[in-house]
Amino acid sequence: MFAGVALAFSQIPTYLIERHGLNRRIYHRGGEDEIQFLLGDRERVLPVWFEGQLQILPWGLPRSYRSTLPSTAWTWRSTVEEGGWNALEPQLVCIPARMGLDRGVWFRIREGVRGLVVHDESGQPVVYVLVEPATHYYRIMTRSDWMPCLVGEAI
Amino acid sequence: MSQEGVESQATTILESVIVYKLCCGGRGLPARGLALAAMPPTKAIGHLDADCFYVSAERVRDGFLKGKPVGVLGNQGACVIAKSYEMKAAGVKTGEPIWEAIQKCPDGIYVKRDFRWYEVLSQRLLDAMHHFSPEVEYYSIDEFFFRAVPLPGRTLQQTAEAMRDHLLHTVGVPVTVGIGRSKTLAKLISDTAKPFGALALLEREDERRLLRRMPVTEISGIAARRAATLAAYGIRTCLELADAQRSLVTQVITATGEAIWWELNGEPITPLHTQRPPHKMLSRGGSIGKATADRQRVWGFVVRNLERLIEGLEFHRVWAGALTLLLQYDDGLESGVQEELLTPTMRFDLLLDALKRGFERVWLPGLRVSRMHLIASQLRRPGFVQRGLFEPPEEPARRLAQLKREINEQLGRFALRSGATLTLNDIYRDQEQGYDICDIRGKICF
Repeated sequence: MFAGVALAFSQIPTYLIERHGLNRRIYHRGGEDEIQFLLGDRERVLPVWFEGQLQILPWGLPRSYRSTLPSTAWTWRSTVEEGGWNALEPQLVCIPARMGLDRGVWFRIREGVRGLVVHDESGQPVVYVLVEPATHYYRIMTRSDWMPCLVGEAI
Repeated sequence: MSQEGVESQATTILESVIVYKLCCGGRGLPARGLALAAMPPTKAIGHLDADCFYVSAERVRDGFLKGKPVGVLGNQGACVIAKSYEMKAAGVKTGEPIWEAIQKCPDGIYVKRDFRWYEVLSQRLLDAMHHFSPEVEYYSIDEFFFRAVPLPGRTLQQTAEAMRDHLLHTVGVPVTVGIGRSKTLAKLISDTAKPFGALALLEREDERRLLRRMPVTEISGIAARRAATLAAYGIRTCLELADAQRSLVTQVITATGEAIWWELNGEPITPLHTQRPPHKMLSRGGSIGKATADRQRVWGFVVRNLERLIEGLEFHRVWAGALTLLLQYDDGLESGVQEELLTPTMRFDLLLDALKRGFERVWLPGLRVSRMHLIASQLRRPGFVQRGLFEPPEEPARRLAQLKREINEQLGRFALRSGATLTLNDIYRDQEQGYDICDIRGKICF
């Protein structure tokens, strides 16, 4: 299960860090600090290149949330390609990332993962991570049957 | 030493080399050759070893990984084939399955291997080394031996340090340099100086202090079995091996052991190979990923490996007189066959015909293939080949091969490939699957 991304501290503008209180997400594992966005966070958000700028958006909707939007964090790429989201006028976006987390394995990501942004009833944009069946390599590495759609790379 | 300090020192060394070149005059000669030609001859041998090379190579193009625990995974994503010192400190070992590694090092970052990139950096290291030495042996992708020549006005110790700093500055890869009186000593010296070390030891007493604390298994060519044999004679350390009677060493571990004995005593026996000796055989293959009993998919891998093998034959300008196909099944069974060719060749159609015959003999229906090897042997230079009477016409095949080569050079490796490999589109979509360690040319050691 794809469970989050991490960015280098220097990739996120200071005003976004302050506005969203991202300091508490800072993690140090050596070298440059990183900022983590995890599925299990109390406030589940992701960084997203949206409307020409980097924004911090809610990552899917929790099950407890009442909305017409799906209460999930991911969506199949094939569902998007088959028009399953068309009624919500989705926009495909890039979620920048230096690392991804799946079943306890942190793996390097060169650019980012693909996502889809739709708006809820109040007009709040919400991002979902696009996933697809895992490659052989990814399945062996993480033991997951599906993987995020990566931007510009295949692993 | 700080990065700034390293760069400053590297710049000074470069200036020193340039000034030396200018002082020597000599127009018309390549500057590098000029400077080196004027350097005093030396018997000292150097060994340069890149520190955790695959990880360092990843850090060259992704600075975010610096200072973090990083593991490079092999073809299948299952095992750690290289690790950073940070990950090593957490107890992760090379070859360890990723599922054990993440228990020991949950903060580890795992990266897919990219041998094409590692070769690019390896060649850059080789090029940079030629600024310091007239004779460099490309031993493996991350190890080099070289004739150690002191820079003007510098000792060999200072030269080793300059070389190390220069390579970090110009290539971005941290290395360790050891200099000694033989290849074996140089390698042992660099092993003790890691990481990012530089050490020249040329006095016998210094050598003896080093050898005294090193087990014989530190020597290339002495593994557990030979070590056990030596231990029966009370020989456990490198110094004990060096001090043993030569005749005893020869008797116990044969001529290889004698060569090591001489080298440990400062007599260089193994020459520097500045050019790779001609191949006796070429091979391509390895794991095919998920084991499969699908005949078409296995045949696709056979043809894929044949195309890779022909690249090797073309590069080394040799023709194959025989082809061996080995299939390994996931229950441990192996089947293999050698097909003799009518005449040595590198033609795809003739080699494919031979493989088709061989495949029928080694294919075991219902069993899942996990690995394969394709080996070209009885290699001949094209000019020394007796032509056959019944070969199909050469010219159309030659022109087709030429066209294929040109298209792939322009559009990318495997842009044009055999239709038999269409069952492997998932493999070809992944760029990093396209280049393996055995595709790296010129190294002496596999």
